[in-house]
Amino acid sequence: MVSQKALQHAEKCRFCWMCRHLCPVQHQTGKELNTPRAKGLLLSMVSKKSAEFDRDMAQAMYECMLCDACVNDCCTGYQPPLFIREARTEAVVNELAPEAVMQLIENVETSGNIYGTVKPSFAREGTDVLVYIGEVAACKVSGMAKALLNILEKTGIRAKVLDNEPASGAMLADLMGYVEEVTQQASACADAINAAKLPTVVVLDSYDAEIMKQRYAEWGCEIKAEVVTATAYVAKLLEEGKLAPKSKKRGSGVCHDDDRLARSFYEFAPVRAMAKAAGFDLAEMFNRERLAKSCGSAVALGYMPEITIKVAGGRWQDMIRTDAKAMLVANPQAYLCLSQCVPAEKELVDLFTALDESL
Amino acid sequence: MQERSLMFHMIRSELEDAVGVENVSTKKNERAVYSVDYFWLSRKWQDAGEEGPMPDIVVRPGSTEEVSKVLKIANYYKIPVTTWGGGSGSQGGALPVAGGILLDIKRMDKLIDLNVEAGTVTCETGMIFSTLEDYVNEKGYSVMHLPSCMTCCTVGGALAHNGIGILSTKYGKMDDMCLSLEVVLPNGDIIDTLPVPKHSTGPNLLPFFIGSEGTLGIMTKAKFKIVKLPEVRTHHAFLFSDIHVGYEACREIVQAVKPSIMRLFDEAETVSIVKKVIGFEKKGSFLNLTLEGHKKIVAAEEEIVLEIAEKYGAQYLGHEYGEKWFENRITFFYPGHIMDLPQMFGTLDTVATHDNIEKIYRAMKSAIEDNFQENKVRFISHSSHWYDWGAMNYSRFIIDNPPKDPEEALRLHNRIWNAGVRATLANGGVLNDHHGIGLKLSRLMKEQYGPAMQVLQALKKELDPNGIMNPYKLGL
Repeated sequence: MVSQKALQHAEKCRFCWMCRHLCPVQHQTGKELNTPRAKGLLLSMVSKKSAEFDRDMAQAMYECMLCDACVNDCCTGYQPPLFIREARTEAVVNELAPEAVMQLIENVETSGNIYGTVKPSFAREGTDVLVYIGEVAACKVSGMAKALLNILEKTGIRAKVLDNEPASGAMLADLMGYVEEVTQQASACADAINAAKLPTVVVLDSYDAEIMKQRYAEWGCEIKAEVVTATAYVAKLLEEGKLAPKSKKRGSGVCHDDDRLARSFYEFAPVRAMAKAAGFDLAEMFNRERLAKSCGSAVALGYMPEITIKVAGGRWQDMIRTDAKAMLVANPQAYLCLSQCVPAEKELVDLFTALDESL
Repeated sequence: MQERSLMFHMIRSELEDAVGVENVSTKKNERAVYSVDYFWLSRKWQDAGEEGPMPDIVVRPGSTEEVSKVLKIANYYKIPVTTWGGGSGSQGGALPVAGGILLDIKRMDKLIDLNVEAGTVTCETGMIFSTLEDYVNEKGYSVMHLPSCMTCCTVGGALAHNGIGILSTKYGKMDDMCLSLEVVLPNGDIIDTLPVPKHSTGPNLLPFFIGSEGTLGIMTKAKFKIVKLPEVRTHHAFLFSDIHVGYEACREIVQAVKPSIMRLFDEAETVSIVKKVIGFEKKGSFLNLTLEGHKKIVAAEEEIVLEIAEKYGAQYLGHEYGEKWFENRITFFYPGHIMDLPQMFGTLDTVATHDNIEKIYRAMKSAIEDNFQENKVRFISHSSHWYDWGAMNYSRFIIDNPPKDPEEALRLHNRIWNAGVRATLANGGVLNDHHGIGLKLSRLMKEQYGPAMQVLQALKKELDPNGIMNPYKLGL
């Protein structure tokens, strides 16, 4: 059903309990089924024909944020998301995936994004860098995209944004695994970026950056430009003194390290540099950086909103225990999820907007 | 319970009313994940493609009151109830061998109170233990319970089998750390133990429940003491010529000072697992030892430890290997580092007074190595929890090529356990030190307790007259 490699990982994880404390979905649902070991065990049972891969099992494979917290913690290198993604492929191929998932896939097929709407355009011409906005920022967190472009403009950087910016494939990959449709999206996206012939592509959403930097090459669709996360790019501008924020105290805040910055790029300092520049006094959550708890993803919010909002709520609980006033976020997906359940007297801050306002 | 019967659906609907429709499941996939815990036999069963013991219905309460409602329903209909926390127990204690209701308590994971002034933390028992430790660490404190299963066991699971962590020699085990409990009795009544654990107000209720493995009630809230994170924590390692000298030296050390960690490995484990995980290459009996607390006290304790070690001819290995062991304290339990199928293995942990502990080590080693030569059994052991009156042995057997047939493997597995455990009992030891009894050792409880077993049976009969709580476990 799944590849030999994926099955080997599942067989190792089925009797290993060590990472469950990091699973945000398990934490919020309390379900044994929502542990990496349970998902590995079920796939092992399927391979031994003592269980059937049915609609219920497919559902279980989607109750996961693919946040990589389990992978990051494993000292032996086993990767639950590897077999979970492949199980999702199996679910889609056999028409066992939950209806909400199939609806998102259909949206991608018809409109190019999970929302099934016409993606707002941020197109502009520029000659210095290409900015890749991504579908979540474009459709749902447009303020963050505008703020990033404003920041670049105020620095004198002429940023280009593609008209009809193609999907990176990150969303589809979370919905149905690394299948041909995903590599086709990746290839089209890489072609469009390469056609711009700019030396740098600044990627606002770290989920897009992750697939571009860490998957495209193995699929033969490498981006020729240097792919940089927007956070790292802006932090460099700050470091080089190209941005001069006004000194304005904005109170205490904690930075949320989103899943991909935390565990695909190990990028922690840029977000904090942006927060300081925007005038925040920084506190820290206990589970931070590589151990940062996921607050959900846009895809998961699309097909399992109730669980994703609970997961975002769990991250707010981590923040509340710090006594900070604001949760500081530089990722559109994290912003979208956390915005679903902002606690009373707490503030959710988009760091690009905060920094833009301070310039 | 017959899933398709009218009564089944009546009871299911009653349970849904108690905890919410979304928290009751009869889906096969959801039930199947409870058929395997960390017990070797349940793993072997699954690996062989056999169907393990499954509950009829999974119920996930979110509060003490909901637990109470569920137990009232179960008690009325006389339905078995097996409580599941993390499922990381090695004794089969959480396996729903009688079917019925599987009560997964992980939704009950709230932090109730963290009182630095009192030096206490109170939480619901479905919380993963490392989450509790994180909450306390945030404030600069610790519960000081750091077992290898810390990231996967629940607070309730640790209490249910009276677990122990690597710092136990200084800070004790669960029954030293827990100050009070809220418990739901099998009839659904909610009770609290007295607010403090030490008193002369009649017999203490805490020991009735800590270590009772879900057979007498369900612990739903627990209060623990907390201590400040240590000013210093220094790791050391030594090499003794053999384990006999090691036992002698460790006894003297623990009767003079209080290390937090003191792990003495026999010669076989020194050249196998210690070598593999921390890269120590020499032969002999390896000891890693950690001292912690106030800097001045630790300095004095270090001096005493070094003097005693020297007296017993130990080679002092400095800080490096002790630090490596501490860094890798959980690595030992990951796939690829710990024993795994197709191997057969088991941990025969026991505890005894100092005068008996080495006798037990040798008797158990002989009982297993001599009686199961044809199976090419290996025996390794270390002693990792020490008291001024005694110590425990964490002895393991390993067979690389056990029978493929699960039923044949089961019989061999149990014969080895019987031989090892009976060698312990004959030399003043007990069935188990800190993993519990569960299903694995249930049959041997009467041998251990003799006529004293009637005390436990009387408790069981009075508190759980219908015998619904975790049937076939703990010999009850």
